[in-house]
Amino acid sequence: MTRQRAVTRRNRWIPFQRRAAARSPVAHMRWRLALAATILLAGATRPARAQNPADRTVAIVVHPETMVSELTSTQLRSIFLAEQQFWPDHSRITLLVRAPVAVEREVVLSRIYRMDEAQFRQYWIAKMFRAEVATGPKIVYSTEMAQELVTAIRGAITFVPASQVGPGMKVLAIDGRKPGEPGYPLN
Amino acid sequence: MRFLRLIPGLVLVLVPTSHVVAQAPIDGPRFQPMGFGDVSYIFADGQAEGFLVGQLVGQLTAALTDRLTIFTEVSGTARSDGYALDIERLFLRYDFADVFKLSAGRYHSPISYWNTAYHHGLWLQTTTSRPGMIRFGSRLIPVHFVGILAEGTIAPGALGLNYALGLGNGRGANIARAGDAGDVNDNRAVTFAINWRPSSLQGFQAGVGAYIDHVPSGDTEPELRERILSAHIAWTPGTPEFIAEYARVSHAPDIAGADFEHTHALYAQASWGLRGAAAGFRPYARIENINASPVDAAFTPLGGDYDAVVAGLRWDFALLAALKAELRRERAGDGERSNSFVVQASFAIAALSGGAM
Repeated sequence: MTRQRAVTRRNRWIPFQRRAAARSPVAHMRWRLALAATILLAGATRPARAQNPADRTVAIVVHPETMVSELTSTQLRSIFLAEQQFWPDHSRITLLVRAPVAVEREVVLSRIYRMDEAQFRQYWIAKMFRAEVATGPKIVYSTEMAQELVTAIRGAITFVPASQVGPGMKVLAIDGRKPGEPGYPLN
Repeated sequence: MRFLRLIPGLVLVLVPTSHVVAQAPIDGPRFQPMGFGDVSYIFADGQAEGFLVGQLVGQLTAALTDRLTIFTEVSGTARSDGYALDIERLFLRYDFADVFKLSAGRYHSPISYWNTAYHHGLWLQTTTSRPGMIRFGSRLIPVHFVGILAEGTIAPGALGLNYALGLGNGRGANIARAGDAGDVNDNRAVTFAINWRPSSLQGFQAGVGAYIDHVPSGDTEPELRERILSAHIAWTPGTPEFIAEYARVSHAPDIAGADFEHTHALYAQASWGLRGAAAGFRPYARIENINASPVDAAFTPLGGDYDAVVAGLRWDFALLAALKAELRRERAGDGERSNSFVVQASFAIAALSGGAM
């Protein structure tokens, strides 16, 4: 009993991993796996901008049947501000906006809306209050959700990281330039 | 004029039957609830002091299809003997296109910037109170309009011209209220407003409005012809804010050769959103003046002129809540100047569709 207490006391001063390794090979392997998983998780949850600066390029995508392939910056701003609510073929524009924290939302708020988060909220609340729109933009919580809805809802428009444009999504040129081209305005 | 009286009825038929060509949203009808409220503490010369529960306003919008929408707004206002419930807005609108949207119901009158931009949304406005010229219960400018309204945006974006053209009941027997239960005479009111709001100038708006009606002036007097002209300019993008509005309200007895009597009203308000360590704070000031015609039968109860100077500080201490402290020095008619100090907490209850913003 006394000897067991002495071993326990000594182990307090041994680094945790050495203690784990000392227990058994299986425990050692588990510890390494846990460490690897922690590193992977930390990398996955880190903001995308830290991973790849190219992810800050935002593509404007629309439903594939939308009869528009290019917008000017003024038209784009007018659509995102809901000043223009119909496409030229008279179909209703459905605006899909990423929920906060996403990097592409930051880009769109600064480049298209020219607002911070508080101003963005106040803008839409005022817009709904004045009955200029029936509801605010539809909120999407992931790029996958944006991809799914923009291809399902006729007249939908949204934005996704240019590196994650999926099949079936129609990418619009802005001021005559596609994402990745020099002078593209949504970087 | 008989043709004008038929138009509202035709529109009431047109709006609901138009929805047969509209598509239901892919996820069914969409509902957008929203609310505003406030609590104040008032120190005032010669007036009741203490806590004041302001208005609790609830708004519910239902997009039944991608073009057909119902807007509703009700308010509960504290009175000395309880609460007064009121229908503020209730209308059915069909959106044909950006340039043409048609609706029928009860609206905020489109002839005043403040009236349409803020109305009961106290949290939306910088100050604790509305300018005197557009105050609730005022007889000066009709704040509500019951009838039909055509509105739209001409060339959204670069040009950004918005218009509203309405035909309705006009003022009620109490001219401070809209004719909710029918027109008090055979003359429908006509209102028109046009605003310039280019998307390249975020927060900028300039516009003019007009309102034409016949209003009752009592049992024995002839009715009054009413003409209201208004103009405004507003810049509310963020750091600086500037709003200035002017209205000329004119009345003349409805008899041949009678001249119009004019009442002039204006206000100008400026504020500045602080940055850095003081972010969230916004000092503001406003001047107001009403120069009422002393012989206008419609405004006799106004008691003459009104002027006020307002200064205050707004603090947005949370995302949808603000605390405002305001000092007001005002004079109505030939009375003494009075001072009041108001501390007010105002808030909004709102979320974009999907439950988050």
